[in-house]
Amino acid sequence: MSGLLGQINPGLLLVLVGFAGCFIPVQRVRQALMVATPVVAMLLLTLAERGTDLSTVSVLDMELILYRVDSLSFIFGLAFLIASLLNAIYALHTDDRLQDGMALAYAGAAVSATFAGDLMTLFVFWEITAVSSVFLILRAGTKAAYQAAMRYLGVQIFSGVLLLDGLAYVYKSTGSLSLDAFTSFDQPGAKFIFAAFAIKAAFPFMHNWLQDAYPKATIVGAVVLSAFTTKLAVYAFARMFPGFEMLIWIGAVMTVFPVFFAVIENDLRKVLSYSLNNQLGFMICAIGIGTPLALNGAAAHAFAHIIYKGLLFMSMGAVLYRVGTAKASELGGLYKSMPWTTIFCIIGAVSISAFPLFSGFVAKAMTMSAVASEGYVIVWLMLLFASAGVLEHSGIKIPYFTFFGHDSGIRVKEAPFNMLLAMGMAAFICIAIGLPTIGGFGYGWLYNMLPCTTTAPADVCMMTGDEIKPYSPYTLDHILTQLQLLMFAVLAFILLKRFGLYPPERPGTILDTDWLYRKPGYGMVKWAGTVWGKAGPAMTAFVTGIGVRTFEKIETTFSPRGALARGPLTVGMALWSAVLLGIVMLVVLIAS
Amino acid sequence: MNVPPERDSSGRFLKPEHDEPKPNDDDMHPMSKLLFGWVGSPRTPFIVLLLVVLICAGLVVFDLSHNRHEYLDFANANGFYAIWGFAAFALAVLSGWPLGKLLRRDEDYYGEADTTPQDVEQDK
Repeated sequence: MSGLLGQINPGLLLVLVGFAGCFIPVQRVRQALMVATPVVAMLLLTLAERGTDLSTVSVLDMELILYRVDSLSFIFGLAFLIASLLNAIYALHTDDRLQDGMALAYAGAAVSATFAGDLMTLFVFWEITAVSSVFLILRAGTKAAYQAAMRYLGVQIFSGVLLLDGLAYVYKSTGSLSLDAFTSFDQPGAKFIFAAFAIKAAFPFMHNWLQDAYPKATIVGAVVLSAFTTKLAVYAFARMFPGFEMLIWIGAVMTVFPVFFAVIENDLRKVLSYSLNNQLGFMICAIGIGTPLALNGAAAHAFAHIIYKGLLFMSMGAVLYRVGTAKASELGGLYKSMPWTTIFCIIGAVSISAFPLFSGFVAKAMTMSAVASEGYVIVWLMLLFASAGVLEHSGIKIPYFTFFGHDSGIRVKEAPFNMLLAMGMAAFICIAIGLPTIGGFGYGWLYNMLPCTTTAPADVCMMTGDEIKPYSPYTLDHILTQLQLLMFAVLAFILLKRFGLYPPERPGTILDTDWLYRKPGYGMVKWAGTVWGKAGPAMTAFVTGIGVRTFEKIETTFSPRGALARGPLTVGMALWSAVLLGIVMLVVLIAS
Repeated sequence: MNVPPERDSSGRFLKPEHDEPKPNDDDMHPMSKLLFGWVGSPRTPFIVLLLVVLICAGLVVFDLSHNRHEYLDFANANGFYAIWGFAAFALAVLSGWPLGKLLRRDEDYYGEADTTPQDVEQDK
């Protein structure tokens, strides 16, 4: 029985229930399903056997592997399922069929893509994540959200098209669609697939869809969006491009540049979106290093990040729900009316900042150690800078300007109970996986799930279990250095604030590289449209005019009413015809 | 002698009649009073600063007496993380001044000033 249940793809279950949920009008029935399904899915996942093809289907002579679990996909899949449960609880106060259903279908598509055993299955669910998630932006109902959703959809679909191109090359050259890791960019299809993943992982200059769409999504939508798309791309990179040196540098840049945007951004959900980029940078960098320690770092970071980033988005969502804005310039002093939200937000903030005893500490440590042990000095310094940067925008700016700082005088009710429950559960996980191992608690639970453990098969880590050294985050050196970094950064904040050197929060739009296509790019397309709108009819009129004039000339000359048909000229025409014929015959005679 | 309206006869600035109303703390959440009652105290900023300075000093002193073993040699220097953390944070924050001037535009720059989603609470 358990063998049979273990073959049911939990992701597919979520997708089916999600789509069905869009048609269930009774709020409580629908939401009970939305909460129960991820729980059932988690149970199914625990029953799944590792390393075998659990569900296959044959389409057009291609054997597609719909469900295959190994140590790498397990941790990502489990994180996605936990996130979908938290999201469903967080959404209980709303009655939105489309949002409820699509949120679950989107989560299911991400889970299914994680457990896909071949490129074609990955592609199909890759596209379902794009199509289902766009509704979470559209449901915000504003013009800005509609426009952002269209840009988002365009970018996501483009990523899918690149993936399809890539898999076609792979299939043509190897005759297989397997998810084997690439070893070089020269392999057929590698560049296309890399670009497809890069878009979804929001690499620098491809990142704008994220900061554009997430802050404009619904309150629940932003929480849901923060968990899946980008981490699915991280998983895909870990699966197919581990050890690609280019990723180390791209990841390092990704950690640093959002810090500067997040400092000046006023919309706190957009600050969190930049922060998301920064966090993805750590994971991408670790995948580029590609050693077992680094891959473990990427997976642990992704797991911890899905929970604490969701928690931070939830807390900002709760504020937005009650106050009506998430702009730092309009908030402040909310600890007086939302104490529980304040506490949960602070737990998310210290987790993402990687304070000891919280999840970020045990996750980020592996990446930092892996980068240092491989001797990438500049990259390591960049990541260390970015660690202080995270503390600035997510660790301090988000809680300080929302809940403390200048008292805005806003007094609201505490967040709805379901929101608090979801935040409480997320906060619990942040602490539970961050503590030193005590009893069944602590980071040991997370570390046992990592892809490269002594018992994990060699196919994910390219190394046998015996060669993998266990890692311990709670060393005196690590605690001391991390506390030094963070506490001196906190000291910097207090001094800068005290001496009036901290830039005030001001409303405004911060330009990013999307300015290029949203202003000059859009302007050029609009100009070309205007020019074509005028030049097109003019060209048509010109060509038509020539045709009309030519026809008129021929008609006035040759028609029955024409010049050659009138009076003696009719005879003349016959005569000319005879002369012409004679000349032709003469030429033919001479020529022959 | 003509005296501007905001000054008294001796030319000193008058205290404005209506100070900005102080937000009312009477309806503070009971849990807030319990957990964060200390935040509003005028001495709190100084005490927090003092605590942070003491912790920082403690960390540096401990670093002096402890021999660390880092992968990268220069990171073994006493107080390396402290200096890097302070400098990185200060650089990130101070860059906000020129960057804000350079990159900040009007809220309606892209014609998207209204981004409040429809699922905010309606009957506040």
